Amino acid sequence: MKPHAGVQELTFAERIAMLRATKMRHTEEKWRVLGSMDMDDLPVILPPPESRKVVRIISGSGLSMPDAVFSSFSPRSNHPSGGIFGARACGENIRALMEMHPPYIDPVSSLAGAYMAHFMSCRNPGWNPDFDYSHLQPEQEKYRLHHGIGAVQHFCQDMTIGFELGWGGILAKIRRFRNVNTDEEAQELYDGLEDLVRGFQNWIGRHAAAARLMAETEENPQLRRNLLEIADINTRLVTDPPRTFREACQWMLWYQLAGKMYNMGGALGRIDQFLYPFYRKETGEGTLTDEEATFHLACHFVMDTSYTQLGGPDAEGRDTTNPLSFLVLEAAHMLKVPVNVGVSVGRDVDPRLLSRGVEILFEDRTGIPKFLGVDRTSEGFARNGYPIALGRERAYSGCHWCAIPGREYTVNDCVKVNLAAVFDVALHEMMSVPGTVPGVEDLWSRFERHLRRSVEVVGESLDFHMDHMYRVFPELHLDLLCHGPIEKGRDASHGGVEFYNLCVDGAGLATVADSFAALEQRIDREGRMSWQELIRLIDGDWPGAGGEKARLMMKHVPRYGSGGSCADAYGLSIARTFTSIVRSRKTPHGFNMIPGIFSWAATIAMGKDVGATPNGRRAQEPISHGPNPDPGFRRDAAPTALALVVASVQPGYGNTAPMQIELDPGLSRNSEDRRKVVDLIRTHFELGGTQINMNILDRKAVLEAHADPSTHPDLVVRVTGFSAYFASLSPEMRQIVVNRIIAED
Amino acid sequence: MIDKGMVFHIQRFSIHDGPGIRTTVFLKGCALECFWCHNPEGRHAFPEVRYFPERCIACGSCVTACPHSAHLLEDGVHAFLRERCEGAGACIETCFSEALQMNGRLMSAGEVMSEVIADRPFYDSSGGGVTLSGGEPTLDSAFALAILKGCKDRGLHTAIETCGECSWGALDSLLPVTDLVMMDIKAMSDERHRNATGKGNGRILANARLLALSGAPLVFRTPVVRGVNDSKEEIGQIASFIRELAGMRHAAARNGAAPREIRYELLRFHRLASDKYRSLGREYRAASLEPLPDEEMLGLLAAAEREGIDARIPQ
Repeated sequence: MKPHAGVQELTFAERIAMLRATKMRHTEEKWRVLGSMDMDDLPVILPPPESRKVVRIISGSGLSMPDAVFSSFSPRSNHPSGGIFGARACGENIRALMEMHPPYIDPVSSLAGAYMAHFMSCRNPGWNPDFDYSHLQPEQEKYRLHHGIGAVQHFCQDMTIGFELGWGGILAKIRRFRNVNTDEEAQELYDGLEDLVRGFQNWIGRHAAAARLMAETEENPQLRRNLLEIADINTRLVTDPPRTFREACQWMLWYQLAGKMYNMGGALGRIDQFLYPFYRKETGEGTLTDEEATFHLACHFVMDTSYTQLGGPDAEGRDTTNPLSFLVLEAAHMLKVPVNVGVSVGRDVDPRLLSRGVEILFEDRTGIPKFLGVDRTSEGFARNGYPIALGRERAYSGCHWCAIPGREYTVNDCVKVNLAAVFDVALHEMMSVPGTVPGVEDLWSRFERHLRRSVEVVGESLDFHMDHMYRVFPELHLDLLCHGPIEKGRDASHGGVEFYNLCVDGAGLATVADSFAALEQRIDREGRMSWQELIRLIDGDWPGAGGEKARLMMKHVPRYGSGGSCADAYGLSIARTFTSIVRSRKTPHGFNMIPGIFSWAATIAMGKDVGATPNGRRAQEPISHGPNPDPGFRRDAAPTALALVVASVQPGYGNTAPMQIELDPGLSRNSEDRRKVVDLIRTHFELGGTQINMNILDRKAVLEAHADPSTHPDLVVRVTGFSAYFASLSPEMRQIVVNRIIAED
Repeated sequence: MIDKGMVFHIQRFSIHDGPGIRTTVFLKGCALECFWCHNPEGRHAFPEVRYFPERCIACGSCVTACPHSAHLLEDGVHAFLRERCEGAGACIETCFSEALQMNGRLMSAGEVMSEVIADRPFYDSSGGGVTLSGGEPTLDSAFALAILKGCKDRGLHTAIETCGECSWGALDSLLPVTDLVMMDIKAMSDERHRNATGKGNGRILANARLLALSGAPLVFRTPVVRGVNDSKEEIGQIASFIRELAGMRHAAARNGAAPREIRYELLRFHRLASDKYRSLGREYRAASLEPLPDEEMLGLLAAAEREGIDARIPQ
């Protein structure tokens, strides 16, 4: 550490640089110990080598991944399977984990805390085998569905509940309602919630003590003062609500870290709104400068990269952009770590926010911020029969999704219908039914029928999830800051909150659209091969030299996204059909389902589930990404063509179909060019687009880092809805990113 | 073929060819032969086959398709005998690996319009439109006029990029439907111009004068190329000429209306065209030429600004 007594104090910028360097060291250690990670930059810090072991787990989004856990932590199972099920057992164990979790304090940061382990990684099995869904599994398997049973978090808390009550107030609230709702389900929930709060209080209190202890030996007066402030703040936060901007950031960080620890949750939502009263009060009193506020935000983001929305309408439609919105952007700008900041873009949203966002995007080249079409998502949500005010309240808080803070349960991003897998079922059925005369028309009707059935299976699966989840792995962490779970004694997954809008995403749109177009052109229209020959080729994964020639022939048809092509027409039909099927009914138990088009990083896993497809895709290659065309969809890779086609396939009910777009850094060397990028963004949203994930990729750096990730360890890219260190990604995911830029050559 | 023209590329989201988000339509054929040309595929007015050997899977389809035996497949290795190629394009139809691509497509103005109109929402939001480039768009002025007129009929902003080596009649015919003219002046010395481009600059400078007098919104541009026009003297002379033109424009202005200003841009040479030359089987004579460093470009800009004109280096 540079400074010593008598030496000039560290500036905020210097402290941020030091925090970034520390994060980089932690990240590099994770790469060494855990390998690649195709998901959000989880800012977990590994436990010390002597007290950790590596296990394989299933993430909150359903991906299998390695993870480190404390070797000395032995969770207490309450089931013969070895699992930990229900609110009581989960609460007891998360409390135990928090109570044994070593404190982490970086004297450079204004905020204490980090987390070192995921509770989910200690729960094995994740699903309670008593709740048998083998009756659903054959069809879940048949369609390779990401069905949502066991999905966790992916909705958004209302942070103001915590800011108002503090941990002491929350505990009192639990105890008050414990006496109101006396049934067993409620009592078990209260036990779990109370244990979690007690875990929080212990964890925070030990940090206060640790900070005081560190201060005793800290030689640098600036850092000693900082540690004593941390000690004071956290002593108070054990029970009391935050009073200052810094305390609010510290409170928020504890909540977020515990969310990551409990079930990898931690949607931030509208940070520039719920922190604003603290900011306004203190800046008004002259006790907080913008520079200091930015620093506290950076101290938060270095430990929690969760999703946040800046600006956008309030319930009445008035823009909420405020000075803090800009400071959040500046904090991300200074840090240059994979923070998931979303900038609202809309009719009445302050255009300076978008302009500044684009400037930072081009300057930093970290894929930050992303852009949110708030008018389209709020108007779309109203089409579910809700007042538009509710749509406006939905906060961007996850990869591609929004939720009403504290009032809506969504399983966002957890349910995926792999359109390519459904297509594959339809194609092979057509070819196997004796007497069928194969043709694209017949194939389409089978695809539609299987798509309908696959959505029905999703609906039945979601009902099963909603019936049992509270007894498997309840949402204790989010329950604390939602309106209803404590008041009603019901987990958010079991009636605790007001609104239930379950997300159902389609994935692989371009793969299927291009496949239909290739079949129509090459077989039905040109007669270049027979259907039997096609099946032989795709089942054999395009074998031999003839197979490769045929593959290229199928690939070489005007693609989805090229504009006015047959594949574009199919893309539109598939999106509309999927939307109409999802909207045509609720789940059998009556839950609303909202369609979106998004594949997330699961584009790789879903691809592994599907053999070769008639669009020239090889077996097990990734399926297409979200609503995007495949790379190479046009020779000029025109962003306007991309923006048009993605806008055209939006489901339009409030959930998104994000456009993933890569731009050349050379595009924007001056303000005039940047203004054109701003116009591109605005126009996409005016045309119906809902969200934009934009990368400014330095081609040379990406290619070098792909060949050897150690050459650019700090290169950050927006992979999909999330951003991440490029070096963190698997070679397959890196290849997907590389393909996007190579295709533009 | 009056109603059709040879197009070699339509670039959507073109942001360096005029104001706003634009679509640039590149017409084939040019009267100059600049040795550094960034768009060699626009040089000839006829269609040409481009060959990318690294994409070839040696399937042999082109061998059977070509009526002129321009393709050979020996021991699993494909060879393209360009001297036999007559540009019929039969091979292209069978080359699914896209190792063979046709450079040049005969299109009607209507077909061009149906492509460029797709991005209308982006033109409208950004103040953009359509730019005709090349090649040299005035060489097929009837085709260029049809496209520009189609754009104006639909209320789109239009621009042309011209080297100026064309008849005044051709250029003049486009002005009523052109909102912005971007014209190159590559050298003030006739000899230097001839050495660099194959032709003297007499007609170009004459057209520049007439353009100035016409009152059309005008940007003059100089691609700065080492050994051709990279001296402060040369750039100063071009700038001085542009100042003269601006003076002529002012003098000719009627009714007290303020004449439109004339802008001058210095464009940096780059070597991004080397793959294009390779695929066309042509020698790239500028292969070893270095782009000018920033400080030199800024020095040239200062030389231009000394003449009192609005000069800039885009990007």
